[in-house]
Amino acid sequence: MHILEKMLAFIKRDFYIHISYRIAFIFEWISTLTTVATFYFVSKLVGQTAAPYLSEYQTGYFPFVLIGIAFSGYLNTSLQSFSSNIRYEQLLGTLEAMLATPTKISHIIIGISIWDFLFTSITTIIALLFGILFFKVDLSQMNFFASLVILIMTIVSFSSIGIISAAFIMVLKKGNPISWLVSTFAGLFGGVFFPVEMLPKGLKLISYFIPITYSLRGLRHAILQGYSFRMLLPDMIILLFFCVTLFPLSIWVFKKAVELAKVTGSLTHY
Amino acid sequence: MSYAIEISGLTKEFLPLKSIYSFILRPLKKEKPFLAINNVSLHIKQGEIFCLMGPNGAGKTTLIKILSCLLLPTKGRAEVMGYDVLKDEAKVKSSIGLIGGDERNFYWRLTLRQNLYFFAKLYDLSNFQIKRKIEELSHLLEINGYLDKRFQECSSGIKQRLTIARGLLNDAKVLFMDEPLKSLDLPSARNVKNFIKEKLAGEQGKTIFFISHNLNEVENFADQIAIMHKGEVRISGTLSYLRNNVNSSSLSLEEIYTNIIKDS
Repeated sequence: MHILEKMLAFIKRDFYIHISYRIAFIFEWISTLTTVATFYFVSKLVGQTAAPYLSEYQTGYFPFVLIGIAFSGYLNTSLQSFSSNIRYEQLLGTLEAMLATPTKISHIIIGISIWDFLFTSITTIIALLFGILFFKVDLSQMNFFASLVILIMTIVSFSSIGIISAAFIMVLKKGNPISWLVSTFAGLFGGVFFPVEMLPKGLKLISYFIPITYSLRGLRHAILQGYSFRMLLPDMIILLFFCVTLFPLSIWVFKKAVELAKVTGSLTHY
Repeated sequence: MSYAIEISGLTKEFLPLKSIYSFILRPLKKEKPFLAINNVSLHIKQGEIFCLMGPNGAGKTTLIKILSCLLLPTKGRAEVMGYDVLKDEAKVKSSIGLIGGDERNFYWRLTLRQNLYFFAKLYDLSNFQIKRKIEELSHLLEINGYLDKRFQECSSGIKQRLTIARGLLNDAKVLFMDEPLKSLDLPSARNVKNFIKEKLAGEQGKTIFFISHNLNEVENFADQIAIMHKGEVRISGTLSYLRNNVNSSSLSLEEIYTNIIKDS
């Protein structure tokens, strides 16, 4: 119960801070909507050219890319949020004040990022609604629970990479090589804006090592075609593999980083 | 004798990490560590006001950070309210309140009330307790008129009082105060000092571990005084003990301090 109350306190804190920047708050959503609209017109241009690559999904380019845009927000949040918020709290000096309380460091790490995930969820829903209402995207076949399970596995696997990245920031303050590497490669090879099938053979191989490839493929099948759990099993097993290997590793790396930061004194340095 | 804080043979060496390369190459290089605290031993009784003084870089803040579980010692041991800082981190943190001299470390776009609410939640206080505590502390520290103002709109003095209020939220038995009067004007500093001495230490029996550079601040305030220099505690005891130790019953604390720092 205490954990939930603490998480609620983090959400309230960040909500109040977020709405204090009213203009930025509105601009973030406007920018999502313009991205969706831009890709709608790109889809008009691309039209049938993309069709051969999208036969797997039995859909046009716009519904395909809408899912990519809407859910890639989770990718960015999972990768960036932990490290950037740790750095922000360090610079503000509030990390030390938080660490002096009996709240576990793992709860602090989750707490400082929880609002970002909520905000990303709201943005995702807005993007999807925008696509449905204004561009007549049909999501009526959606398997909601399967989509949710894939989404959770996506968040866990990418958050693990984000937590490892936060461990770097905790100790070294600057330089976030892991997040940069993964987010750069995920954008290109993960199938956010175009199907990975379009990539040349050698490059396509890279996409198999990035969890977002399986996340987006699974989500597209679950949302656009209503695939059942059984049909989604191959992608889910691979995502589960990423989760069970990356998550414990990230927790171990982060604990080691905290220990090291307590030895070097960098835990609360600016 | 029941001690609130027991420190024996505590040593802290720093080998700072400058970059990822220095971390990787560390085993190959023989860097000399910086000795921040050298074999410090102290015993502080419950309900006592203990003042630690010393020039910049003496190791005072490092000592508080070790006692608050924010840093790991290199050697030695330390206990707060009977809890080992290495083994019982959560219990130590529940027993302490940390009041720093840096009044910036809050959320600038939140109000004072929102800031206090957030930190109180991290101490597991219920909404009812938080409401009562904020009322009580804001009244005692005279910030009740500013509670719904944004932190960024407040003066340094108000911000500093908020730092004190945050340190008192969990009703801790031991309070670590690192130059808590730094940004306060003279009457406010006097009021807060009286509040610490009479209410917190006197009535509530809290142990106060107080760091200060200001000798006037400490002279009629502390039960025990320690002077730290270059990571070592050079002398520790009551003011009269300190005077006897330097063989003069008429010396002011400032003169004692100057002698000790000069001698080393």
